[in-house]
Amino acid sequence: MIFDTALILDSIPKMLFGIGLTFQLLFLSAALGLVLAIILLLMRISGRWYLSAPTMVYIYIFRGTPILVQIFIIYYGLPQLEFVRDSVFWPILREPFGCAILALTLNTGAYVSEILRGGVLGVDRGLKEAGAALGLSARHRFIYITTPIAIRLALPAYSNDVISLMKSTALASTITLLDMMGIARTIVAETYAPYEIFISLMIIYLALTWMIQRSFGWIEKRMSRYVRSEA
Amino acid sequence: MEAITGWWDDFFWGSVAVARIFVTALILTVLFGLIGAGAKLSKSRVAKSIAGGYTVVFRGTPEILVLLLFYFGSAVTLTAIAQAFDPEIKFVDIPPFWAGSLAIALIVGAYATETFRGAFLGVDPGQIEASRALGLSNLQTFIYVRIPAMWRLALPPFGNHMLSLIKDTALISIIGLQETLFVAEQAIGTTGKPFTMYILVGAIYLGFSTIITLSVMVLEKYANRHLEVGR
Repeated sequence: MIFDTALILDSIPKMLFGIGLTFQLLFLSAALGLVLAIILLLMRISGRWYLSAPTMVYIYIFRGTPILVQIFIIYYGLPQLEFVRDSVFWPILREPFGCAILALTLNTGAYVSEILRGGVLGVDRGLKEAGAALGLSARHRFIYITTPIAIRLALPAYSNDVISLMKSTALASTITLLDMMGIARTIVAETYAPYEIFISLMIIYLALTWMIQRSFGWIEKRMSRYVRSEA
Repeated sequence: MEAITGWWDDFFWGSVAVARIFVTALILTVLFGLIGAGAKLSKSRVAKSIAGGYTVVFRGTPEILVLLLFYFGSAVTLTAIAQAFDPEIKFVDIPPFWAGSLAIALIVGAYATETFRGAFLGVDPGQIEASRALGLSNLQTFIYVRIPAMWRLALPPFGNHMLSLIKDTALISIIGLQETLFVAEQAIGTTGKPFTMYILVGAIYLGFSTIITLSVMVLEKYANRHLEVGR
């Protein structure tokens, strides 16, 4: 078995052509997913059952089913329903890109809201009590005391979730999107050289993972600059 | 709902296929995890760096990429070998069942490596010293002291790995294994009801996830049965 280096050098630029789409999928669904996660978190910790119960069901469903099935339900499944085809969202749901973003957002939102909840629950009670003693209202305590500390606590787990979101973007290739994975599959189907193409792509994805880890490492370090002496 | 009538047995056998892959991959995952953790905790620098490379590569690349590399890579290699003997042969592959189980077990095994490593390090050194003092051999210490103490620590994260494992089985339909997602595609071909079919697949996976979650809860209770008095 010999590696076809010419083929590798030829196909890496082709695959990198899809990195833009991978980044779009990653950043858009990470941002939208974070917004969704915060909404879910606030509903979950609101203490009102009619807000927290639906959130728990939502999280249970989206964490209990494969993301591939979620993508298929949204892309192939929803057009079966007439009211979806008549709705204003149809221009988005008709396109594989919109469906991929929607599926990734809904999925990551469920995971991230649990991560954020872990952060919020991890905040030392004494600090909140101190805030109450200083006369801060519940809302101010949440914004000025709980939130900054919870973010710091949730950050390591959040960075792992961004990495798994990045890996999930590769599944967009199953609904005809030509991200890096989609391009690689096309090249393999033409050349039948899986080792060369897929291993090169693995290295590209590893570099992305490394970049995400480094950026979050930097943010974590910056955010815990006040507590470093303790650690 | 009537669209599903006539497909129940196919979905049942699809679910059996999912369960079979899950069990096979679970055994392999534990094996890879233990080997990986053993290598990471060993004194050998070579073993450490191999295990380190293993966890970095398999945790940093998309699951679908590993799966396609395994399946098509092995097919190319096997076909080349077979053609060396008999030029008439067009295509040889390893069964999707094994390519799939191995691929997802290697991925989740990389996560399990880290979990097991942490759990082994978390075992109270006093217990190991006590077993030495009682004259237990290394193997006896490992089986009777380290493993029971370690799996108590490893169980909660390992439950999450089992959930990833069951969800990753959905990917194997891409390489043509006849599990639920594959059955759904066939059913859609004749009934034209993608939403119904994919929702059913989602429900089946949700059932599997629920069974796993409940089993982990029972196992955790069993593993901690000696500690309950103190709480």
